[in-house]
Amino acid sequence: MKRAPIVITATVAGLAGVLAFHTTSSRLSLGTLPGAAAAPQAPATTDPSASGPGRSAGGSSSPPKRGSAAPTQPAGTRTVDGTRTVDGPAVNYNFGVLSVSVTVSRHKITKIGIASLDDGGMSRSQYIDQQAIPLLEQEAMQAQSANIQGVSGASYTSAGFQQSLQAALHTLGLR
Amino acid sequence: MGTVVTVDVYTTDGQAGDEVSRQLASARALLQRADAVFSTWNPRSPISRLRRGEITVSQAPAEVGEVLELCATARELSGGWFDPWAMPGGVDPTGYVKGWAAQRALGAFRAGHISGAIVNAAGDIASFGGLGRDKPFSIGICDPFSPGRLAAVVCLSGAIATSGTYERGNHLIDPHSGRPKARAASASVTGPDLGLADALATAIAVAGPSSLALIEALDGYEALVITGDGYLRWTERFPFRAR
Repeated sequence: MKRAPIVITATVAGLAGVLAFHTTSSRLSLGTLPGAAAAPQAPATTDPSASGPGRSAGGSSSPPKRGSAAPTQPAGTRTVDGTRTVDGPAVNYNFGVLSVSVTVSRHKITKIGIASLDDGGMSRSQYIDQQAIPLLEQEAMQAQSANIQGVSGASYTSAGFQQSLQAALHTLGLR
Repeated sequence: MGTVVTVDVYTTDGQAGDEVSRQLASARALLQRADAVFSTWNPRSPISRLRRGEITVSQAPAEVGEVLELCATARELSGGWFDPWAMPGGVDPTGYVKGWAAQRALGAFRAGHISGAIVNAAGDIASFGGLGRDKPFSIGICDPFSPGRLAAVVCLSGAIATSGTYERGNHLIDPHSGRPKARAASASVTGPDLGLADALATAIAVAGPSSLALIEALDGYEALVITGDGYLRWTERFPFRAR
């Protein structure tokens, strides 16, 4: 059994009648990206710097401390290629269509942003622009440093965001 | 159901394979079917027709009766704090269906070339296996006071659902008054089945930390509540990831 698992992501958006469905494995998409062919999968290594939750009862809502800005680089995955940026596909979510842009240096995400956002001029647009998306960017960066495979929470926007982000990461041969 | 579902399949041999593709297609079909039957947004769906009294449960597709039975069980196990029959506008199993459908879609995947799979229905997650042998999935729980951050990380075996009021506003209905009310900022429940976990998470988000005893009494289910003033409370065996 090889160490690095390949992740296959499929997405199903209900209700609006829009169905995005990808069964592209990371390995297959690697070859389509210039300079990425030799990049090995970023293995889902255990990151000892990502701490678990504070186990003490009580206290404030302050989130657990972890190695925030500079997550540990998975060992042995250095490549010679430089920084790459990929836009994820445009994904429908409840309030419109968005796509996520990811910039990677070696195997580390250095920047996550919105490549496009069309909310149809709905009144939620201001909220999404100014509140939700910066939080989601932050969440994705933190997910990387915490080495997790998903986030549980009550949200609408995050699903569309994660969907586009995940596809972009797959294109980059990253997980 | 008005939600987005993502599926992650972790293969052991690096190959997508026809088998996995078929399983993905079958998971998609299960989700589409659930959406067609249970969408309260679609006025022509069986559940909408049932709510308007145009058809009875026995005239509806078999899944409707099955889900309503499961809802009745969840209502009982939650001490009445989860109650689709107390929703404004008539019986509304939406709070159960999302988790139920994701759990059902997960059933499309079989071990073999797969070490694990995750079906994530907008933050409610059904899973089996992990990254590899003895390498379970880690799942973060959103901090309700700072949704870009994580309040905890769990070592997942099975399902996790989180209910709260933070991103969607105060959408939780207190079945005892029929009005919006939540006594916790966020509630997460882990357990073998996502449908029940989702219902229980909704129940304890409404009922507050005192209802943790209900979960403590249930075999296989654990819960974490984040109170309105930021305290964390959890059942004895809640699966925090080790430091």
